[in-house]
Amino acid sequence: MALDYRKCAEEIAKYIGGGSNVISAAHCATRLRLVIADNSKIDKKALEDVEGVKGMFESNGQLQLIIGTGTVNKVYDEFLAVTGVSAATKADVKAAAASKMPWWKKILKTPGDIFVPILPAIVASGLMMGIVEAIPKFAPAFGNTGWYAFLDLVANTAFALLPVLVAISAARVFGGNVFLAAVIGLMMVHPALLNAWNSGSVQGVATFFGKPIPLEAVQNAINGLDPKVAALIPNDFLNQAGALFDLSKGVSPSVINSLPSEAASGIWSALNSSLTVADIGGISKFALFGSYGISQVGYQGHVIPVILAVLFMSKLEKLLHKIVPEMIDLFVTPLVTVLVTALLTFTIIGPVFSILENYVLMGAKWLAGTKIGATVMGAIYPWTVFLGLHHMYNVIEAGMIAQTGLNTWMPIASAANFAQFGACLAVAIKVKNAKTKSVALPASLSASLGITEPAIFGVNYRFMKPFLCGMAGGAVGALFGALFGLGAPVYGVTGIPAIPAVNNIPLYLVELLIAAGVAFVLTIFIWKEEKPEEKAKEPEPEKPLELPTVSVIRCAAGTVMQPVKGNVIAREAIPDDTFASGVLGDGVGIEPTEELVVAPFDGTISSVAESKHAIGIEANGMEMLIHVGVDTVNMQGDGFECLVSEGDEVKLGQPLIRFSREKIKAAGYSDTVAVLLTNSDDLEGVECGAK
Amino acid sequence: MKSFEYTITDPVGIHARPAGILVKEIKKFASTVTVNKGEKSVNALKLMALMGMGIKQGDTIRIDVEGADEETAAAEIEAFFKANL
Repeated sequence: MALDYRKCAEEIAKYIGGGSNVISAAHCATRLRLVIADNSKIDKKALEDVEGVKGMFESNGQLQLIIGTGTVNKVYDEFLAVTGVSAATKADVKAAAASKMPWWKKILKTPGDIFVPILPAIVASGLMMGIVEAIPKFAPAFGNTGWYAFLDLVANTAFALLPVLVAISAARVFGGNVFLAAVIGLMMVHPALLNAWNSGSVQGVATFFGKPIPLEAVQNAINGLDPKVAALIPNDFLNQAGALFDLSKGVSPSVINSLPSEAASGIWSALNSSLTVADIGGISKFALFGSYGISQVGYQGHVIPVILAVLFMSKLEKLLHKIVPEMIDLFVTPLVTVLVTALLTFTIIGPVFSILENYVLMGAKWLAGTKIGATVMGAIYPWTVFLGLHHMYNVIEAGMIAQTGLNTWMPIASAANFAQFGACLAVAIKVKNAKTKSVALPASLSASLGITEPAIFGVNYRFMKPFLCGMAGGAVGALFGALFGLGAPVYGVTGIPAIPAVNNIPLYLVELLIAAGVAFVLTIFIWKEEKPEEKAKEPEPEKPLELPTVSVIRCAAGTVMQPVKGNVIAREAIPDDTFASGVLGDGVGIEPTEELVVAPFDGTISSVAESKHAIGIEANGMEMLIHVGVDTVNMQGDGFECLVSEGDEVKLGQPLIRFSREKIKAAGYSDTVAVLLTNSDDLEGVECGAK
Repeated sequence: MKSFEYTITDPVGIHARPAGILVKEIKKFASTVTVNKGEKSVNALKLMALMGMGIKQGDTIRIDVEGADEETAAAEIEAFFKANL
């Protein structure tokens, strides 16, 4: 009996909460695929009872109603008419499903999406940087060689200019122009801006902007120097300087830098602890709006401000493309996009982050003072790395050394970083996916050397649970470090490279072991690799296809590649007289070892059997029938899923039919797949057999 | 041109095997045979097109036979349908 399409569509609409509850609708060969706004309005039981709906399930944020080949399109048309929803493509439905994720989940997911493509760059750099910077800690002489300087340059390029990589990748995620995004990224690390890593250092700020240093502070610094180093400074140094500069305004940094390097660095390190950046007048600004200006500081090491800037840029660019007349679009849109984004970035995003940085700094300083605080800091430290706020910590460390001679911040940071290493290593060991493994291993090594970005962004944060396990490990390790009063008289290193400097090497090793161990064990037990099952069920066209490599039929009009994996047999050996006799055309049989039929050449689907077990494809005069199993028409579609519809253009290797060998066997039929050129009589030079 | 109508009784309709033997039968004649279902019509020698019509049990189709031997062809093909489909 023919189905009343209208009635079916009306009932579906009724039980899903009406047309207003539909975000988008599409259909494939057999199913109506809907993205629903409010799933609670769905009456699932009633839906299943609707005549014409053979089954329903929810997958990937879609409500899928199985209706059947040949009918689904008619029900779909009626459904659109009934609900007033406009037709959507399958891709639209997928996009809508992705956008249906809760907003916080989408936000959490975005940095991972952006970081995955740039992983090779930061994993390589992170590992190299960790090694290159660790060597001088053990072999100080190496630090003065040309090799060290050169390797350091190579290793830290990706990190020093990270915002550029992030900007380009973010533009691809947000759909903005990658070149404009690159400009934004480059602007944020422009050499005319102070390197963000130096923004907390008196030496860095004074030298970069030529800020004079108060005379008294310089005198105190010189007086405090080791006598041997002080001997390098000419006696009348300050008098000479006074002849060139007005010392009442302070000592120019270039004067200090003109001293022998040992003396200069001694003075600077004293000044770094005795003064703050504010004491020398702070970071210079571009005066833009009266007294309000933009700090001349870059975004080295930052990630989140770059992502926000490119997000804004991409939205603005799209909007402008829409409203700017086409004639002037080419120059107006990029110009306005870059200018507005730059202004917004430096006036709003930048200052908000610098305020945030200051609070983080104050909070971190306060936390590091107590044992419980250290525990908390050990846990939240990776979040500050994630937000790119960690480059301010040098200031805390320098302050601690100046006050007590012992940097007790380092054990906290080490515990946190080493815990991320442990979690990442656990992923590397446990994960089956070869690609993830190949990222996780070098990323964990780099983390053990104190460069945690690859491990955090590339692995732990992406899977989230390892990140949380790492937080736990960091907390335990940091508590241990605080309990035993661990510390070091140096700053700027963590993890393995810090070993030679710590005040108690055995206990420090125990701390690292605890931090990494806790994170490692927790990750091994708590984190499970997500199986890509959902994906297997729903082959995506953008998924790289595994192309068949064996041809089974060749003729003048083209080549037929093997559409199903398995053993190729002669047509005559197909266990069915009709196929074997060649009545349906020449070809081969395949005894399948897998359950997927793929397109044997680029072509058009000419027919799909109602019972989904056979499919016709045409191209260049070749008419091909792929028939799965013998007598399987009697199974009436049970055990078969057709992934394409009549009229679809398909590419070589594209999945066409999924079938269950088990069900075919259970029904008592042979699962031999007949691959036949039905018009082989009209084709020239037909030759069959695997080759 | 000779035409006749036929209602399919074969439970699987004109699917691969029945279509194959139908094509084999039709090839014996010089006439052009067209199978019509609703508004669709195909050359009965085009196996894939024939199967693509999705002719099922209970469907009524019209077969047009046109050519030098249409008289005998139509009669034999109709007999073939009755015997096999």
